[in-house]
Amino acid sequence: MASVSAGASAARTPSAASQGASHPSAPVPDVLREAVAEASRQGDAGPGTALRLLRGSARAAVAVGRRTVAVAALAALWEVLPRLEAVDPTFLPPLSEVVVAWWDLLLSGQLLDHTQASLVRSLAGFALAIVVAIPLGLLIGWYKPLADLLNPLLELFRNTAALALLPVFVLILGLGETSKISIILYACAWPILLNTIAGVKGVDPLLIKSARSMGLRPLRLFQKVILPAAVPTVFTGVRLAGAYSILVLVAAEMVGAKAGLGYLINYAQFNFRVPDMYAGIITISVLGLAFNQLLVRLERRFSTWRTS
Amino acid sequence: MKIRFQGVGKEFRVRGAERPFTALHDVDLDVRAGEFLTLVGPSGCGKSTLLDLLAGLAAPTTGRILLDGVPVEGPGLDRGIVFQQYALFPWRTALSNVEFGLEAKAVPRKERAERARSYLDLVGLSGFEDRYPHELSGGMRQRVAIARSLAFDPDVLLMDEPFAALDAQTRESLQEELLRIWQKTGKTVLFITHGIDEAVYLGQRVAVMTSRPGRIKRILDVEFDSREGDLRADPRFGEYRHEVWTLLRDEVAAARAEEAVSVG
Ligand SMILES: Nc1ncnc2c1ncn2[C@@H]1O[C@H](COP(=O)(O)OP(=O)(O)OP(=O)(O)O)[C@@H](O)[C@H]1O
Ligand SMILES: [Mg+2]
Repeated sequence: MASVSAGASAARTPSAASQGASHPSAPVPDVLREAVAEASRQGDAGPGTALRLLRGSARAAVAVGRRTVAVAALAALWEVLPRLEAVDPTFLPPLSEVVVAWWDLLLSGQLLDHTQASLVRSLAGFALAIVVAIPLGLLIGWYKPLADLLNPLLELFRNTAALALLPVFVLILGLGETSKISIILYACAWPILLNTIAGVKGVDPLLIKSARSMGLRPLRLFQKVILPAAVPTVFTGVRLAGAYSILVLVAAEMVGAKAGLGYLINYAQFNFRVPDMYAGIITISVLGLAFNQLLVRLERRFSTWRTS
Repeated sequence: MKIRFQGVGKEFRVRGAERPFTALHDVDLDVRAGEFLTLVGPSGCGKSTLLDLLAGLAAPTTGRILLDGVPVEGPGLDRGIVFQQYALFPWRTALSNVEFGLEAKAVPRKERAERARSYLDLVGLSGFEDRYPHELSGGMRQRVAIARSLAFDPDVLLMDEPFAALDAQTRESLQEELLRIWQKTGKTVLFITHGIDEAVYLGQRVAVMTSRPGRIKRILDVEFDSREGDLRADPRFGEYRHEVWTLLRDEVAAARAEEAVSVG
């Protein structure tokens, strides 16, 4: 039972991170760039240049420091509390032990194998979800009769937790890769589908009117107005789906898998290799975080025109 | 291109209401080719509706609208519209917004950019080609919208309170710019406004509408001996202004009374 709750809390990390990451504040590289720009603004290397560079990088360092202070504090607590036996070190070994376990897993090649197995599943489900859900969402959003017909169904399914259906997927598709990728596909498809529909429906009617007044026929209208206007909303869905793909993955891999990070976590817990378990959890958190960062970057590139 | 409204009426079906809602009733109006006509009327009298009909975005319930004798069948690039809220595409830069109508007209890519550039220049926006709408001020956005409507070279320019949201200075400079462009291009302009000053300043004729259901109440010829200098200081400007004001006052009062009845 402990493994499930531990796994769940780790899996929740990507979505929490996604909220933090979508905050408009600039990521670290921007801060660095600012520092360099600030330093080079002087142009010709005058006597002040070195000082400026120093000051600029000091400011960047402070900014980086502020961002990492909470994580550092958590790491410190994780190290100290078990050592002081404020918490039971058998269940929560100090961070350093976990890091050593993680390093051993890495050297033995196991970590890479598990990560690869997980990534393949996640990315396959995620990619398939994009391929299926975006066209479907565009169709439903654009073609009103279809939307009216499907809406009750959509409402029903969107309010059913994907993981509640995992047993059904296993029952029908077996314990193999198909059911795992399918459940990820299923979970990822919803945010993409719903956001795409919302994106298409939410296009400013005035823009449609304006384009129509310039003689655009429905198909061109769709291509030139509806589609570009919906891109940011669609991308929000894609980003959410990215988080879901990791979230659901762990649960899917705890049932009848022979590889994958979810399997590693579950297996380690079962065999009481607690540091390995935490090593797996950390890996999956970092993976989710990295994936989310990547999608946030992409999202920003695709919606530079957005005011907010 | 001349415009003729013949007994044009428009009714809307309103949810939950038994009888349809009459926005326009029996509108007759002729706009001469190359004329600058301004249209004023109390809020809700159907000015925007009239423009939608002329643009071909909606069909009249009764009557018909003729462009050079040909009934309006739908939207077309012979008419360019400037909306009150700019209606620029936020994902396109200023230049590419101006190119939009040219794409619809299938102008080759290279010529498109050239023409868009020259029209942005015409409205005084060279140097802002690569800005997105949210990076422009309200007045600049409206100028992009005007450039967009001019760029595909429509015969008729339809403008729905295009300067309403702007500050007085920006509005005046855009008014002058618009007059300059109109004189240069010789397009027929139908300009809707709330502002009496604006109507008298811009229009060769001012059409005053009644309160809802809207009809044309009076058409006023506006003539100045010369348009040079400060037109607003001309004594005749004051006279025209007062005349339009008097015509409108009764209609606005009627519209208020109507609103009070329907609310109370
Ligand atoms: N699609 C619609 N359905 C129902 N009623 C409508 C519709 N469009 C406009 N109306 C009604 O028709 C009347 C005229 O509207 P319109 O927008 O043409 O007024 P307007 O003269 O442009 O007013 P304003 O000066 O405030 O812009 C209004 O009472 C409005 O409520
Ligand atoms: Mg209006």
